[in-house]
Amino acid sequence: MFARNRSGSSRVLSNMKAKHKRYEALVNAFHADIFRYAYWLVKDRSVAEDIVQETFLRAWRSLDSLNDEKAAKSWLITILRRENARRFERKQFDTVDIDDVSVHDETQDAEGDVQDRELHRLLGGLSDEYREPLVLQLIFGFSGDEISQQLNLNKNTVMTRLFRARNQLREALERQNEQRGQANG
Amino acid sequence: MDELEFRRRIYADPETTDSDVIAAAKADESKRKFWNEQKQFDKQLKQAVKVDVPEDLKHKLIWQQSANEFASYQKRSRWYVAMAASIAFTVGIGFTMWYHQPVSIGGQALAHMQYAETERAHSLLPVDLEQVNAKLASFGGSFTDMIGDVEVVNYCHLSTVRSLHLIVDTPQGKMSVFIVPERGDVRVPAEFEDKQYHGESIKMHHANIMVVGNKGADLTEMKKAVTDKIHFSA
Repeated sequence: MFARNRSGSSRVLSNMKAKHKRYEALVNAFHADIFRYAYWLVKDRSVAEDIVQETFLRAWRSLDSLNDEKAAKSWLITILRRENARRFERKQFDTVDIDDVSVHDETQDAEGDVQDRELHRLLGGLSDEYREPLVLQLIFGFSGDEISQQLNLNKNTVMTRLFRARNQLREALERQNEQRGQANG
Repeated sequence: MDELEFRRRIYADPETTDSDVIAAAKADESKRKFWNEQKQFDKQLKQAVKVDVPEDLKHKLIWQQSANEFASYQKRSRWYVAMAASIAFTVGIGFTMWYHQPVSIGGQALAHMQYAETERAHSLLPVDLEQVNAKLASFGGSFTDMIGDVEVVNYCHLSTVRSLHLIVDTPQGKMSVFIVPERGDVRVPAEFEDKQYHGESIKMHHANIMVVGNKGADLTEMKKAVTDKIHFSA
């Protein structure tokens, strides 16, 4: 009985080791992109960090349910989106409408060139429904099909939103260039 | 493919590999130019979405999982410790209760009878009241008068109880009188017997008296003699 218990507990231990390895691999492979995605969802670095931590904690707890390593990315995104939604349920009353607040990211201000900063600002200014599919495409290289699955949207809707997102960005940039041109001229 | 549709498709996915989009681009220089511009723009966008990741995030994520696991491990091990402690406690209590369970000394007295047979042989000097009372004094008791022809008076241990054993010669054969100090953990049965002897006990204020005689012997007289003559000081 004791021998069986011992081999049982060593199996548990080696399972734990394997789980650790898996988790660390998951963190290494995805934490950066997941953080960036979270950032573009909430447009706040510290909130994004919180959500990412919560996401990975949940990922750890239900790591056993992740059977397909290829699905890991979208699995994490799903957890993160749920965490973000939960945050809104929790903080329904003390959130500021983030779209009204101009987005400023200090590190980007410090390092990025003017164009980068401009794009950053414009991306932040896109409405959520346009920004989210665009960010999925840009960060994770998701196809239209993958985005539509992830966001539970019709593919045509996704393609339209992607088109509008880029279109709005182009137009905004052109408008600014014109303004700058006028100011200079 | 018209201009608008082409732009829609490129805007939706600048990295499209759709054959009709590619064919349209091949056929039209301006479309190719537009597509290249868009690819360029997308590179900038990709650069722009790549916000800096907090340097310590990766370590935090790995650490928080270890911390979480440690907490649940602690919870689990607390459970084990509690279980082990509970078992140890139960065993301890059980052992103590077994060890301290009231000792029934009737059997002990009977066993002693066998021993007394041999004991009697090497002390043929008669025992007087003084000797008996000297020994009984340690229990705080004394006899006012001799209870008969006492042959032997000696301390003995019935289980863990130090008692005084008197062997008395009576017309009904040898009888033994045990004076057993009152102790909470000692149970004295009212009657007990084996193949050879039988005994009865009398509960007194400070002690239990057990009178044991041969099977068939009437113990009443001896019981009466003892209860009449024994006195406890306190």
